[in-house]
Amino acid sequence: MVLDMVGDKPVYIQIAEWLENEILGGDIKENEKVYSQYQLAEMFNINPATAARGINILAEQGILYKKRGLGMFLAANAMEKIQHKRRNYTLKKLVEKVVVEARRLGIDEEELLGIMRQAGKELDE
Amino acid sequence: MDVISCQGLTKNFGRIKAVSDLSFTIGQNVITGLIGPNGAGKTTLLKIIAGFTRPSSGKVTVFSENPFNSLKVSANMIFVDEHMKFPSSLSLAQIMSAAPAFYKNWDMGLAKELFAYFSLNPGQRHHHLSKGTKSTFNMIIGLASRCPLTIFDEPTAGMDAGVRKDFYRALLRDYLQKPRSMIFSSHLLNEAEDILEDILLLQAGQKRLHLPVTDLKEFAVALRGKKEVISELTAGQEIYHQKNIGKEHSYAVIRRDAADGLLKKSAAAGIEILPVAAEDLCVYLTTRNRGGIDHVFDRNQSF
Repeated sequence: MVLDMVGDKPVYIQIAEWLENEILGGDIKENEKVYSQYQLAEMFNINPATAARGINILAEQGILYKKRGLGMFLAANAMEKIQHKRRNYTLKKLVEKVVVEARRLGIDEEELLGIMRQAGKELDE
Repeated sequence: MDVISCQGLTKNFGRIKAVSDLSFTIGQNVITGLIGPNGAGKTTLLKIIAGFTRPSSGKVTVFSENPFNSLKVSANMIFVDEHMKFPSSLSLAQIMSAAPAFYKNWDMGLAKELFAYFSLNPGQRHHHLSKGTKSTFNMIIGLASRCPLTIFDEPTAGMDAGVRKDFYRALLRDYLQKPRSMIFSSHLLNEAEDILEDILLLQAGQKRLHLPVTDLKEFAVALRGKKEVISELTAGQEIYHQKNIGKEHSYAVIRRDAADGLLKKSAAAGIEILPVAAEDLCVYLTTRNRGGIDHVFDRNQSF
């Protein structure tokens, strides 16, 4: 993944989201060690303090936990926590934006659902 | 532990105050970007920290010592800029082989690999190098010396885009291998932004901001929308930058914490709230006229 350095989203939030995606994708297992701030700094070409801030967001939310001197590990139920958060916050916000844009264009609910089904089909292909 | 500490630092050149009542501290193993427009006092400040010049008043300590005439500071610090002088009788290869005598942490392996990577010519003399190649060589010396305090003054001057990118990458990777305190100065944040931890922004010899880069990016927001609504919302607040968009709309940059209470109100009033790029903010904060260059032209327009 390449970070979006000019966009609206702070880099440390992008780091947190990237880690979440790795977790959702099953690449990191419960009670396994996650990337260190130094590994992330090297991977994304950012200052390790910025990477640490991304990691800390997930620690504050109980998705990661710290083992003193060993680093950060994936908490039990981390996957559920992320899914819950994304469903109730991230997805909701995205849908809001879609609905606002659809209204601006005078697209009714039926048509919007059609567009979404179509997008799903294209992704499946 | 603080590596650098300045209190009320002032440096006068005749009647001109190059650095004026500057106070800040820099902690260990932090990469700090010293940012400011031309004439902000960046080089003067760095030279005081390096112990090359004495402040007119105020106090500076580096590794808990006054850097001027300090052997401890000289031995643990390197100052890299485009005026770096090396004996003209030595070739680049000879300069590199002499370096370990001056810098006890010198990493010859790293120096040689960087030298080969950038295709420098070992037989060449330093004073015959082009501006960009000189900067590249100086950068290699700066990194390979691995000094606990590494100072780069405008290190990328004359480097092409590719070398600049490599430089920042090399700096970060070397820092990850051997964390140390680094400061580098630049007019602009540009490509350097992401590898910095802190930023120290100077304007006219004074400190404008000193904070983590991640905080800088969230320091301000821009409001965009109907002119009257914007001026109502921003009344009584410090506006860092303002410009008109067409006849009826305007764009104003204010502090985010001042804006927090306004966010809901703004959304209801049809005002857009936009993030402000760190680099743009630095320019706004260090420009005397908050209308920017447009102001000059707008004033001279007869219509």
